[in-house]
Amino acid sequence: MNDGSGAGTAAVRVRGLWKRFGEQIAVAGIDLELPAGRFIGLVGPNGAGKTTTLSMVTGLLRPDQGTVEVVGHDVWRDPVEVKARIGVLPEGLRLFERLSGRELLAYTGRLRGLPGAEVDKRATQLLDVLDLAGAQHKLVVDYSTGMRKKIGLAAALLHNPEVLFLDEPFEGVDPVSAQTIRGVLERYTASGATVVFSSHVMELVESLCDWVAVMAAGRIRAHGPIAEVRGSAPTLQQAFLELVGAHGRTPGTNLDWLGGGTR
Amino acid sequence: MSTGLTSTVVRLKLSLLGNGLRQSAGRRAAYIASLVVVLLFAALQLIGLIALRGNAHAATVAVLAVMVMALGWAVMPLFFPSGDETLDPTRLVVLPLRPRPLVRALLTASLVGIGPLFTVCLFTGSVISVAHGPAAYGTAVVAVALALLVCVALARAVAAANIRLLTSRKGRDLAVLSGLVVAIGAQLVNFGARQLGSAGLSQLDPVGEVLRWVPPASAIAAVDSMGKGSYGTGAAQLTLSAAALAGLLTLWSRTLTKLMTSPDQSTLQAAEPGPRQRGSAGLSRLLPPGRTGTVMERSLRYVWRDPKTKAAWVTSLAIGLIVPVFNALQGTGSIYFACFAAGMLGIQMYNQFGQDTSAFWMVAMTISSARDAYTELRGRALALLLITLPYATLVTVVTTAVLGAWPRLPEVLGLSYALLGAMLATGAWCSARFPYSIPQEGYKNVAPGQTGLAWISIFGGMISAALLSAPMIAATIWLNVAAGGDARTWLLLPAGAAYGALITLLGLRLAAPRTARRLPEILTAVSKG
Repeated sequence: MNDGSGAGTAAVRVRGLWKRFGEQIAVAGIDLELPAGRFIGLVGPNGAGKTTTLSMVTGLLRPDQGTVEVVGHDVWRDPVEVKARIGVLPEGLRLFERLSGRELLAYTGRLRGLPGAEVDKRATQLLDVLDLAGAQHKLVVDYSTGMRKKIGLAAALLHNPEVLFLDEPFEGVDPVSAQTIRGVLERYTASGATVVFSSHVMELVESLCDWVAVMAAGRIRAHGPIAEVRGSAPTLQQAFLELVGAHGRTPGTNLDWLGGGTR
Repeated sequence: MSTGLTSTVVRLKLSLLGNGLRQSAGRRAAYIASLVVVLLFAALQLIGLIALRGNAHAATVAVLAVMVMALGWAVMPLFFPSGDETLDPTRLVVLPLRPRPLVRALLTASLVGIGPLFTVCLFTGSVISVAHGPAAYGTAVVAVALALLVCVALARAVAAANIRLLTSRKGRDLAVLSGLVVAIGAQLVNFGARQLGSAGLSQLDPVGEVLRWVPPASAIAAVDSMGKGSYGTGAAQLTLSAAALAGLLTLWSRTLTKLMTSPDQSTLQAAEPGPRQRGSAGLSRLLPPGRTGTVMERSLRYVWRDPKTKAAWVTSLAIGLIVPVFNALQGTGSIYFACFAAGMLGIQMYNQFGQDTSAFWMVAMTISSARDAYTELRGRALALLLITLPYATLVTVVTTAVLGAWPRLPEVLGLSYALLGAMLATGAWCSARFPYSIPQEGYKNVAPGQTGLAWISIFGGMISAALLSAPMIAATIWLNVAAGGDARTWLLLPAGAAYGALITLLGLRLAAPRTARRLPEILTAVSKG
């Protein structure tokens, strides 16, 4: 996989991407190049179009217009090359929940055409590292949110993809599981692979990523190495609020009755 | 204080009912319709039971009717837990309530509704059918009230004892299957009633003798005993029911106390030890290697583990058996009805991806060519055949045996296989062309707004399947009509099997490129549930 061609080539190249749902424009013309070998954060408020963008980039949703290339292959014209090279953890879609954690991994790996023995070996290690070994024979339907995200991550990593797309991987996850997921992802990018993940938690993105793209209302507002995007602002949160134009909005005196002993 | 609580809970129940009805006109109509039906039914059975008055078996029938009713009360909360929100005492757990007044309040609230109304009608009918003389009439008033209270307390005690199950995932799975239990139960009752109609009521008397001493039927039996002058027996039977009521109330009250004072179930669930390893290695060893075996294994696991898929399968299996065999048993059937089994089971091939729900994305991520799609669809068809082929054969053989039409077996089997092949072919194609979502909760099998799609898929597909089987049907008719054709009808068996296999392969071949091309559209269509 990671042939080390790293810095020069783009992991993902998006041109003129549009998606409309009825009247509403979810993604309004995105042009973006994500560098390979980085930990990339796609940030933006709820409804910015992050999930729609990631779905179109991974081939799960057909764009109205535009092209997407992943590691040099067109997602829609060359799915054989692309699907083998990417791992996906979508948000809001189910897993095969009536399988146990181990069965789900065995199923996914074999569906991807990996040899059975290899799948079982990798599954054991992933279950171990992700702290799911104790729950591996429990049905996924009985898993907690954190456990679901972890088993989804394991399924996405099983075939050792070059680029990993994660939609809100830390949403609703407890701190312990979040730390576990983080550890696995850091190890994975250290080997030269690319992670693209979406989030609306700026602190998290700031501490994990070295490259960010800021999205709002279906467009990319800023992108680049994190220091560049942050600019002169003290934190990414501040920079982000300025970018999306939500700065300086304070409650004012409207809630002056709130708090304090008076009724 | 406690009367205040009772009236509050009763008012809560009434406003829950009222708000539910105010929500939509459909619900209001459904409620009024069911009320009318229940009242009609109640009136009919009331008339029926009154007509039984004086009959030698009246007591037996009355006692049995009461017992069936009590059984219904005991089982209902397990299958329809969401029917009554006041049934879930954990909703009241944050309020400072003592168990005794709470039990009284909840019991009173339970007496409001269609169910208790119907029960009172039935019990009233039962006592009228057996009551003779003033002592009996006096007892009757007490007996009806007592029996009703026992029923309600029974339902509440069962619900409270099983509240953990009812609010858990297993309970919700059970609720999906409940419609099925009712449907099959109705079939059995129907069958039993017909048997009874031919054999007479007297064979029930021994059962009645025993049930006379089982509460709440013993309360009704007490009326009969009083009427016959055996006051001692009557008093004993009445006391038995009263004791049962007291016992149930104590049990319920204890469970309530435990529920209100112990940690909530999410805490308990997390502390549960992990279940044992599921034995599945045997199954996967028997299946072919590669994607085919993987897909088959997952499909077969889902038949057993997914409540919606299971319900659909059990329905298909049951109807596929009942229609040809019961018709044959009653002597009204034709041997060609045996093809019904193949047709019913073939329906399972329809909307394959809808059965995956939005988890279809996991499949979509691994399909990058028409070849992958073909292997996926073929795996699903093979999993289906693993159950369907032996079952359709069995139903055909049983139907033939009942009718004694052995010479026709080969042609009917041939027709069955051809029809099955046609259903699989059209099913695969419709899965790719007309996918729709199956909601995971509740009884609906189609997501709102996709009903039209489902109709096109299933009925269009079934008509196409019938047309596709036309050559085999024509051949069957021709051989049966042509002079000397009877001697060659056995040829229809290999011909039908070959035709079915061929047409299945053809259907899969046509469906595969379409599936591979339309992956995002299919995913969108099946993610609405």
